Amino acid sequence: MLLNLNTRVMLEFLPEIWQGFLATLMLSAAGFAGAMVLGVIACGLSIQPARLLRAPAVVYIDAVRATPLLAQLYFLYFGLPRLGILLPEMLIGVIALSLNSGAYIAEIIRSGILSIQRGQVEASISSGMTYLQRMRLIILPQALRPTISPLIGQAIVLVKDSSLLSLISVVELTRAGQRIAVERFMPVEGLVATALAYLVLYYLLKLLAGLWSRQNRLPGRA
Amino acid sequence: MHKLNPFVLTALLAVMTQAGGATPVAAGTLDDILARGELRVAVQTQGPPFSFMDKNGTRTGSAIDLTTLMAAEMGVKIVYLDFDWDGLLPALMSGKADILAADMTPTLARATKVAFTKPFIYVGAVAFAKAGTGFDSIAACKAPGTKIAVLFGSTGEKIAAAVFPEAEIKSYKGGGTLLLDAVNTGQTNCGVNDSSAVAAQSAAYDADTFTVMPEMLSKEPLAYAVRYDSMDLLSWANLFIDTTALDGRLQANLDYWVNSDAWQAAH
Repeated sequence: MLLNLNTRVMLEFLPEIWQGFLATLMLSAAGFAGAMVLGVIACGLSIQPARLLRAPAVVYIDAVRATPLLAQLYFLYFGLPRLGILLPEMLIGVIALSLNSGAYIAEIIRSGILSIQRGQVEASISSGMTYLQRMRLIILPQALRPTISPLIGQAIVLVKDSSLLSLISVVELTRAGQRIAVERFMPVEGLVATALAYLVLYYLLKLLAGLWSRQNRLPGRA
Repeated sequence: MHKLNPFVLTALLAVMTQAGGATPVAAGTLDDILARGELRVAVQTQGPPFSFMDKNGTRTGSAIDLTTLMAAEMGVKIVYLDFDWDGLLPALMSGKADILAADMTPTLARATKVAFTKPFIYVGAVAFAKAGTGFDSIAACKAPGTKIAVLFGSTGEKIAAAVFPEAEIKSYKGGGTLLLDAVNTGQTNCGVNDSSAVAAQSAAYDADTFTVMPEMLSKEPLAYAVRYDSMDLLSWANLFIDTTALDGRLQANLDYWVNSDAWQAAH
């Protein structure tokens, strides 16, 4: 069946696909940067012993993980204006992706931190280290390594999740592919072109992750 | 130029007939429908007044009534398949549905892929805006930078680009009510959709929520569609439209669902 693909039409829509590819790349990069910031803050709060600090992080993480991204997206897009907050759809898209992935990233980093044996914390305490010294010198360098692979996984999920932004009229990769379907009535050509572009993005991410972990030989177990 | 040897010609014909015989001879879509005992119809999940879930959760609308009548006249059961607007044509083309029953305009581009029946009604696209926002005319919506909500892949999308060249066109997927929501929440300033859809769907909001511009931006026929390999079903559907137009059942359907808001009391 793939041999019957109308490659002429796929090539004709290459500029649209390229634009969509760039938009998806941009939205995902901004979304992931925001998610990392949110994730680190939420994780930092969620491991605090004081309940008052922990509570907001736990509520955020649970609320996001318990609801579908589509619902969060529609809430931000159609719900916020009712509260008097009107934001452009690109910004809403980035906020939704950041909020959503941030919760998962918080859990990923937290699991890394919790994987450090209690004895090491006790040893650093008895060496007279402050909380920040303990985190910076002992825990985080070891905790980071096992989180790299799940973080890359989360970045890949985020790239694919960004396709939902087409539903709030953001023109990105999925919408560009749907163009072929509605302009030329060739849904398969549109889907294949989109899938190939996502595949390129995926390998790009994998390549970057490989380069990054090779350049920054992080201490700790491999 | 030498003449073809009649023996060769006969042999050639025999081979061609043989090759043709390898595929079943009957295999008309109507035969398939009668054999399986059900007519499969692709409809839009939320596209009042043609096909939608009413407030009691029942599937209803003009296209639902007409295709139910079709199945009754054929003597088969009816099966509805739900799609978003841009999923309708792929569903028909892939053979999931026998017929597509929606408020679809038979454009020349669409007709390169599917065969349209005779139009069962003519409608037009209108522009609308939220009341009291200053967007109270076509001219106001033409201002540069105005955001116009349209349905992704609809004829309204093309019309809006032509009528509002300096506006920013925002395309939504999922049904006409999303356009009304986008305009109502202020995400867009104006919207463009079929007059019948706007009239029917805006009824769900408080009165005076929207200003609907009186100008028709286009005059468009609406028709059902079948695949090009279903010419038997196409002839039948055209005869169905002729027959129901003559005996008044088509007009009664359109008067109830499209040309008035009589249906809103019961649905």
